[in-house]
Amino acid sequence: MQLKQSLIIAIILGIISVAAWELYWRSQGLHPTLNDEKALWAMARANVEKAGKDDVVILGSSRAYFDIQVKQWEKLTGKVPIQLSSTGSSPLPTFHDIVNNTNFNGTVIVGVTPGLLFSTTYPKAFPWERPQSKVDFYRDRTYAQRLNYLLSVPLQQNLVLMSADEEEWNDDIDLKALLKRVNWGTRDTMPPPPPFYNFGDVSIPRNISMMPRTVTDTAFAKSIIDVWHFFGKGSPPPDKDATTEFFMKDVKKFKAKGGNLILVRPPSSGGVRMGEKMGLPRERFWDSLVKVANVKSYHFEDYDQLKDLVCPEESHLSLDDANFFTREFIEILRKDNAIPNLKSN
Amino acid sequence: MLFNSLSFVLFLVIVIVLYYSKIFNWTGKKRMLLLSSYVFYGMWNPPLVILLWISTIVDWTAGKKLAVEENQKKRKMWLLLSMFVNLGFLAFFKYGDFLLENFVSLVNMVGIEFQARPMDIILPMGISFYTFQTMSYTIDMYKRKIEPAKTFLDFALYVTFFPQLVAGPIVRAKDLITQFYEEKKATANQFIWGTFLLTIGLFQKVVLADTLLADTSDEVFGAKSILNGLDAWTGTLAFSGQIFFDFAGYSTCAIGIALMLGIVLPDNFKYPYASIGFSDLWKRWHISLSSWLRDYLYIPLGGNRHGITRMYVALMLTMLLGGLWHGAAWTFVVWGALHGIYLVIERLLKNRIHIKINAFNGVLLALLTYMLVNFTWVFFRAREFSTAKNMINSMLFINSDGEKILQSFDIIKVFLLITLLFICHWVMRNTSMKEVSLKTPAWLLGIVWAIMFFLIVISQGTGEQFIYFQF
Repeated sequence: MQLKQSLIIAIILGIISVAAWELYWRSQGLHPTLNDEKALWAMARANVEKAGKDDVVILGSSRAYFDIQVKQWEKLTGKVPIQLSSTGSSPLPTFHDIVNNTNFNGTVIVGVTPGLLFSTTYPKAFPWERPQSKVDFYRDRTYAQRLNYLLSVPLQQNLVLMSADEEEWNDDIDLKALLKRVNWGTRDTMPPPPPFYNFGDVSIPRNISMMPRTVTDTAFAKSIIDVWHFFGKGSPPPDKDATTEFFMKDVKKFKAKGGNLILVRPPSSGGVRMGEKMGLPRERFWDSLVKVANVKSYHFEDYDQLKDLVCPEESHLSLDDANFFTREFIEILRKDNAIPNLKSN
Repeated sequence: MLFNSLSFVLFLVIVIVLYYSKIFNWTGKKRMLLLSSYVFYGMWNPPLVILLWISTIVDWTAGKKLAVEENQKKRKMWLLLSMFVNLGFLAFFKYGDFLLENFVSLVNMVGIEFQARPMDIILPMGISFYTFQTMSYTIDMYKRKIEPAKTFLDFALYVTFFPQLVAGPIVRAKDLITQFYEEKKATANQFIWGTFLLTIGLFQKVVLADTLLADTSDEVFGAKSILNGLDAWTGTLAFSGQIFFDFAGYSTCAIGIALMLGIVLPDNFKYPYASIGFSDLWKRWHISLSSWLRDYLYIPLGGNRHGITRMYVALMLTMLLGGLWHGAAWTFVVWGALHGIYLVIERLLKNRIHIKINAFNGVLLALLTYMLVNFTWVFFRAREFSTAKNMINSMLFINSDGEKILQSFDIIKVFLLITLLFICHWVMRNTSMKEVSLKTPAWLLGIVWAIMFFLIVISQGTGEQFIYFQF
């Protein structure tokens, strides 16, 4: 029968071509990793609904995401923190969601990346819209979307070809990403942004760690640094008053519920640190926030063991240093009695 | 649940295994299909299954009464009840906010200060499709064109059959309910052909619409600035391809999945971009809707039986309401109005100019039709009239210094794809995929199939919703 023959040919060729595609990209040095997508964030966010007084939620931008390692935290405290930090994002929309839409009154650690926390409260601005889209996705997700994600996890964990990240990295290998790399000449006068490659491995429970290549391959690290410098130059001026005012309303509500808020400023280094010192000086931004928030606050520069940490791409810690940072941070919190019932290992 | 999702793959495998297992008799299989259809719909928003139930129960009851009732007044009442419930659902869920907005604008215009908070009503997926489908049953029963469904199960399955539940084809009762009366089982060839159609449908949606065209269209229609003519044309052409591949892709999947179960659904698209004129277009684009509008709106409005003026009025009204069916916004009404005007002009010209269509003038007329269709797509896609106006001006090259936002590759990609699409539609104009496949060597069909499968896999897709789900 003709159709049967066609089906058999299609199955054989289909399997061969997909296998060849997978093997080719593995031979190029790629390895399977989870995508950092909304569905994963929503899974973590769902845990806040049943979290209690002893639980810890981590909010912030990519620094709080990379630098506070969930497994290390669990190892040292016996509790898995809920990691809700989000790359390129202000923590304010997520904190607002947790304060206003949940009964959570445990500990919230807000990682402060000054360029993002103080950036804006404008809903359409990138640092706001991005985390808000995750909050919205969590609220609106369907049962089908939940099931889709659960089914996709084992595929993502085992197949390199499942690399269509929402971040749209320049080294994604889905068809759309590959076509985006084709350049047959530009028509506009704007210089294109530098390529942005994936440099984090994502795992469940939601956590991200720096890919080893970022530490060992300086050219690769440089490509990421170029992206930070590009964003740094093109960013609009911070809106300290509006962001602080928005944040403080939620801080007051959270405190009134009996919640424990902690601020932490994770490390940065090199040109990024220099830029932050010029554009977002500590005295005007961090110190001012700490003063009005009146909560336990920790700046990496204030601790001998943390102040000289070097970020391979100037903004995030390598996995080893992130584990070190997490360990030391927990020790500091413990000594300061910042988190009630924080168990010793 | 979306056809282009992993959960649907799992769902379909389970349904097929149960359907072809020996644990159920035919009634059991139909019950299983009905339950699966509710799961399919409920995985999106479980409480909205209640609307399906209400629609089912109301039309089943109305149909039963219409079958035996002789009193014309009472018959009319049953018909009106069905229409009131179904159109009421549509009016509330789909047009509630739109009606409120327009009411507020109207009272403000006459000088009354009034503000209303938007109701923010959730739009039940596919409501326009299943309400039209159930209404067609009651109307046909009222006109005594069909026999009532034999059992409630057959009728409920007709309303809810998952392959075509949320985006059609809108199937008439006589074409679908009767298929449920006797046990259906796909032959090996039907099953494989259904799988092939499912692959083609997914290829159209995931690869062609979402991967190759959607971004360009979104970028152009999302631009805040006034665009260069080439960019505006590229974006509009990209959208024309995207909407076709998206919707035809869904229909092809639906037909393929049904065929895998041994159920035959009618074609919904017949290579519409090779249409010669607009009457031809509406016989080829979303056929199940256009024939519904013809039978239940245009003809009852008088059709062509009451003189030319009445015919044109009926035509315009049908197209305006057809536009509104697609979405609760004035841009959709304008889209419908343009199609209405095109149809009226075409009929006027046909009475005066007689052209014998041959291959040469045929392709030119098809190209002209397609170009004119593209102007209507601008109103369909633009969220605001200001966007549509800027786009039309750019497409007419009135904005000579418009901004260039697309890269050369994107423009070449879209023009290449759309040219291939047009050629493909022209070549396939008078034939069908089935006929072509019968003439194609098995090895070649297998290779094409494998290529489509491979491209679907490497496109992955992020589970983008089908555009027509929102209608």
